[in-house]
Amino acid sequence: MANVILKNLIKRYGSVTAVDNLNIEIRDREFAVLVGPSGCGKTTALRMIAGLETVTSGDIYIGDTLVNDMAPKDRDIAMVFQNYALYPHMNVRDNLGFGLKMRKFSKTEIDRRVQEAADILGIHDLLERKPKELSGGQRQRVAVGRAIVRKPKVFLFDEPLSNLDAKLRVAMRAEISKLHRRLGATIVYVTHDQVEAMTMADRIFIMHNGTLQQSGMPLDVYNKPANRFVAGFIGSPAMNFIETRLVREKDTWFIASEGFKVRLPEAFYPRVEPYADRPVIFGVRPEDMEEHDPATGSDSGNTLTVQAEVVETLGFEVFVYLTCGPHALVARMEVPKHPLTVGQTLEVDLKMAQIHLFDRETSQTIV
Amino acid sequence: MKTIFSAISRFVDRRQSLVFPAPAVIVLFLIVIIPIVFNLYLTFTKWTIGLGQPRFIGFDNFIELFGDERVWNGVKVMVYFSGLSLTLELALGLLIALYFNRAFKGSEIVQAIYIIPFAATPVAVALIWRIMLNPEIGVMNYLLQSVGLPPSLWVSSAAMVIPTLVMVDVWKWTPMITLIVLAGLKSLPHDPYEAARIDGASVLQIFWYITLPLIRPVLIAALMLRSLDNLKEFDIIYTITQGGPGIASETLYLYSYTVGFSFFKAGYGSALMVVVFLIVLVFNVIMNRLRHESQVV
Repeated sequence: MANVILKNLIKRYGSVTAVDNLNIEIRDREFAVLVGPSGCGKTTALRMIAGLETVTSGDIYIGDTLVNDMAPKDRDIAMVFQNYALYPHMNVRDNLGFGLKMRKFSKTEIDRRVQEAADILGIHDLLERKPKELSGGQRQRVAVGRAIVRKPKVFLFDEPLSNLDAKLRVAMRAEISKLHRRLGATIVYVTHDQVEAMTMADRIFIMHNGTLQQSGMPLDVYNKPANRFVAGFIGSPAMNFIETRLVREKDTWFIASEGFKVRLPEAFYPRVEPYADRPVIFGVRPEDMEEHDPATGSDSGNTLTVQAEVVETLGFEVFVYLTCGPHALVARMEVPKHPLTVGQTLEVDLKMAQIHLFDRETSQTIV
Repeated sequence: MKTIFSAISRFVDRRQSLVFPAPAVIVLFLIVIIPIVFNLYLTFTKWTIGLGQPRFIGFDNFIELFGDERVWNGVKVMVYFSGLSLTLELALGLLIALYFNRAFKGSEIVQAIYIIPFAATPVAVALIWRIMLNPEIGVMNYLLQSVGLPPSLWVSSAAMVIPTLVMVDVWKWTPMITLIVLAGLKSLPHDPYEAARIDGASVLQIFWYITLPLIRPVLIAALMLRSLDNLKEFDIIYTITQGGPGIASETLYLYSYTVGFSFFKAGYGSALMVVVFLIVLVFNVIMNRLRHESQVV
């Protein structure tokens, strides 16, 4: 087992910079997820760790070894590919054993390890089959199996679940997490799916345009996004953003825009001081909005009058697509006692302790 | 009149599956089926073209064939020539395809030049080679001598004639194999190669364990296509040696041509053709089975 360190890592293709000065330290036995939209450089970074792409500049360490110029086979890594990359002409048994055979393991040791992997993944019945005779989920298992028979220091997963249907993806997600606990291995996992990142990762690394935006434990990143990109990328439905201004009326700060005005909690005052009368981006997560309860009576300055445009009922909750003046918002709420109708005007309260403000120029988080 | 047209149109409507393919079937029948059937009929006759009518003699032509030394010579030459040329063309074609499969500067121009022999007319190629191979005035002996080797008799020597003809055939036809195999290589999945690199396979192991098994169906298909021509190679051999010296380069196909069109023995010549046909058929049936078995993707 080993840690993985990327130091000032840069990858350029001609004039295009795919990975731009990436600094990441993945700890031993950690489940690290690199996540970001397509083209953000996450797969390129993974492929550089694997040795499938050369490094333009910077260093990659696996354990204590600098591996920049080392062939993939000498890095003691195993990789699970997005398209499984099984050897189509070999049966499952030979697919699993190929890496061991190339490394001159004895026949009995290969058999033992293939059996062991087949036990772990429940693919005993498939050992004699060819990849084309397997379903997508079964192929995925074989691809994982091929990685685990090798017992490498580091596992690399490149969007391994993106070709599976939604239900299977959820099941495999849990299985890979279980596998991680069982193997106690370092895993670097690349995905564009923030749900996978949130559910599986010990730590997530969010990338955008080749640079690392933020890293941390999933909940920390969710609750304290470093910038507007991270705030919008993590969470589903995505965070609502509104272009607003910060206005001070006497001693009270308000966040205001057309058809929209809420009072800023006092705890945030010190941090917003430099932004007086300047445009800022206001952000609120869908679940931080709830239907106003008239029984609570008093107006605490966090109530918006909105119109329901679309209501999506998911059973235990609803997504309500709202308009507030010219702004579109999504709220995620408990199923209301009185069914909402389209076009209906209602009042929603924002949970002001949970709101976010971003600098309009730099996109960095203010509060 | 009107009723006739409507009757025809009703017939066409009802029998579309018969009417529409009919012209093609008729043409096929006239230019393919009739000659084949006529050829089969001739195999059971004795008929010298221009002298009288074909006379039915049953299986006599086939019985005669077994005792004919030139038939056995023809089979031997055919196996020698085709075995050697097909093996070399396949091996070289694959190697060169592997070379072209990597991007390098100017690869398109090199490839374009490389396929010129394949594009050239076989008889023209053969005529030029005949001059080049001439022991007295040919450039080939000049080249041998210029590097200090003794001159060769080339196609004038019974021992050298087949290897020399193989050389010409390989020169002309290897590019065809290369083109087919290259297309196959380009269509191979990319991922397994990366997986193999991570699994620790060397370049040679990747070729042996990944490329070769995956490209096998294409190799066999190329071999089948090439064998259809090669087993009845005519242009090159006939133009350069006419089967000589003696009968040292007379394949079964060339012999059946000689029997039919030099000796005008149409019946016996047809029987020989049928034997050539059976050899080509059996070879390709076997190859096709191998191809199916190796099909994985």
